[in-house]
Amino acid sequence: MFKSILNKGRRLAGIGSIAAALVAAAPAMAQDKEPIVFGGSIPLSGVFAFAGVHIHAGLTDYTSWINNQGGINGHPVKYVMEDTGYEVDRSVAAFKKITGSNKVPVYYGDSTGFMKTIASELNSRGTTLMSGASFATALTDNEQYPYQFIPGPNYSQMFGIILEYIATQGKDGDMPTVAFVYSDTEFGKDPIENGKAKAAEMGIEVVEEIVTKPGSVDVSAEILKLRRVRPDFVVFHGYVLSPINEFMVQMRQMGLDTKFMGTFWSTDKLIIDKMGADADGYMGVMPYNYYDSAEGGPMLDALRATAEKSDPDAGYRPTGYMQGWFNAMVWTEVIKRTMDAGKELTAENMAESLASIKDWDTGGIIGIPVTVHDMSFPVGRIWRVNAKEARYEPVSDWIHLD
Amino acid sequence: MRIGDAKQSYEADEAIWSSSTQKIWFAFFLLALAAFPFMADAYLLYMGCLVGIAVISTTGLNILTGFTGLISLGQAGFMGVGGYTVAWLSMNTALPFPVTLVLAGLLAAAVGILVGLPSLRVKGLYLAIATLAASVFLHFIFAEWESVTGGMGGMSLEPAHLFGLTFQTDFQMYFIIVPLAVLMVFAAKNVFRTRTGRAFIAIRDRDISAEILGINLLRYKLMSFALSSFYAGVAGGLFAYFYRVVTPESFPLSMSIFYLAAVIVGGMGNLLGGILGAAFMTLIPELLGMLTTALTPYYPNAPVFMSPMLGIIFGALIVGFLIYEPHGLAEIWHRIRRFFSLWPFKN
Repeated sequence: MFKSILNKGRRLAGIGSIAAALVAAAPAMAQDKEPIVFGGSIPLSGVFAFAGVHIHAGLTDYTSWINNQGGINGHPVKYVMEDTGYEVDRSVAAFKKITGSNKVPVYYGDSTGFMKTIASELNSRGTTLMSGASFATALTDNEQYPYQFIPGPNYSQMFGIILEYIATQGKDGDMPTVAFVYSDTEFGKDPIENGKAKAAEMGIEVVEEIVTKPGSVDVSAEILKLRRVRPDFVVFHGYVLSPINEFMVQMRQMGLDTKFMGTFWSTDKLIIDKMGADADGYMGVMPYNYYDSAEGGPMLDALRATAEKSDPDAGYRPTGYMQGWFNAMVWTEVIKRTMDAGKELTAENMAESLASIKDWDTGGIIGIPVTVHDMSFPVGRIWRVNAKEARYEPVSDWIHLD
Repeated sequence: MRIGDAKQSYEADEAIWSSSTQKIWFAFFLLALAAFPFMADAYLLYMGCLVGIAVISTTGLNILTGFTGLISLGQAGFMGVGGYTVAWLSMNTALPFPVTLVLAGLLAAAVGILVGLPSLRVKGLYLAIATLAASVFLHFIFAEWESVTGGMGGMSLEPAHLFGLTFQTDFQMYFIIVPLAVLMVFAAKNVFRTRTGRAFIAIRDRDISAEILGINLLRYKLMSFALSSFYAGVAGGLFAYFYRVVTPESFPLSMSIFYLAAVIVGGMGNLLGGILGAAFMTLIPELLGMLTTALTPYYPNAPVFMSPMLGIIFGALIVGFLIYEPHGLAEIWHRIRRFFSLWPFKN
């Protein structure tokens, strides 16, 4: 009797364990397809690490989120990265290592230098579409870089958006005047010629151009030049923080009512954290909503929930995080469109899918539907620092350049 | 068992090989180098090419700093001259790569002679600053002479070519870079068997004594600068062909420091040291990166935690070598060799 009960029990336990195994295996079976690899040369150390760690977090969290959604058309996503120290040779080494041991349809490049360097290999391989930390105008040259795209507006387009905003700020029918202050680097000089051409086209006078070393501290001579011409707006480019803070503080001490603006990498919370109340009124162009902006949307909400879950103590997530997440979102969209069209995941097919993106709803990451032009998303909004609230607030509508 | 080398003539003292065993091992080494690209994956091939370029440049700097005692922080600038020369020639002429590389080396050597002029009056840290200034000046030219260098955006290159063959992939480039590295190290080895090489060493050991012995300091110091810059120019040219793009940011000051560190860590005034130093400095960050990769399955946050740590470990390794083995990796290598030569006896 006891033996028979025991046997029945064992049989039930056996059936139960098989059922449990089947239930547990169901999601795994749904994701039984070959994983899709997101590759990345990520600067977790070196001079760009301040952004690299957040880009990495954005890519990691997006990967976890998309896998929880069932992957891309049932394919699980695997994120494979290497730290590069923000050095081109190490970025190339990481690319070779990752693409050598995985089939990598999409890849994150950590710098303009790396993306230019790897271009010839990328073109000859024809297997990988690349985007990354760079918003360099040169990368939107489809002849030379057909398989690279910009996850937002390029730097020239950012200047275009800034100038569109400035053009609306004139008083009594006069156009405001502007001065460009930029670093003596490839990054700094990138949008200047196009910016000057755009300003001339719009009737905005560029009254001064100042070139400094990135991170300069003593800029008093340059500030005197600006005092002479008294621009309504100063647009900074090619910096993360210094010398923006020096210019702002000293020019305000001189009683100038100039307004200060910057581009993507200098429009993050870092400026507020470092400058405190002095940052008040600083403006910049940003293609994505801020993590703590009042805006919402299904994807923005998902981003916030995933970020909260992955690191509850992290609090605010910087723009690098948003950029990493958005890169991965675009990759997913491109891969999905290519698969849905029944095409192979080649760089050419994916570039075609990217070019087909029109009025795409990003779920609140970008506040309006976006369309790809010349391998970039030429959209952005002007945000201004509210130092009291320690956050950026929008001061313009979303501006989509044609 | 071989217990030592009795050198009983000047010829024996100058000989490249001290025993036939060395020749056999070297033949094996060459065979391994030749077989490597057929067995290595894309990543290892890339690293092999990178080490090859680093060996050429480090050997050049070793001639100047290690053998002649003239410290230089201009190596990246000279490499830049070579890189831009090759880039310009590749875009504006149909010259094959051996010609462009030689021209790159010669132009870099000419620039090296100009930069070397202050070495007649200053040395040590003062010369370091003079070469640093030259490096900044060259960087300015790369960035501003837009009609030739392409400005901050730099230049893209056509692949290296010779007799209708193009060398585009890492596999193909390996067969240019590594044989050239072997050849140039051999050439350097031979320089130090000649009066010129010995004059360099005499200047390093005591320049006033060297001058009293009849060595023309002006001539030999500038010759050392020229030779070192020639090596840098060729390395820069290979760098340009390898990456097929050059920008002013391709040759930063940190690159000069990298090569100086490679010479010091490898062993100053020792060609083997230059090779080991170049390999060490290029490969150790990658090996440390592998440590992170190995830890990631167990600690998913390992990349974020480990990446800054690796820089510290790398720095500590360099400091450790300098403290515990001031003669560099070459001395460690010699000790290992001695151990095996004398085994089972204690050295």
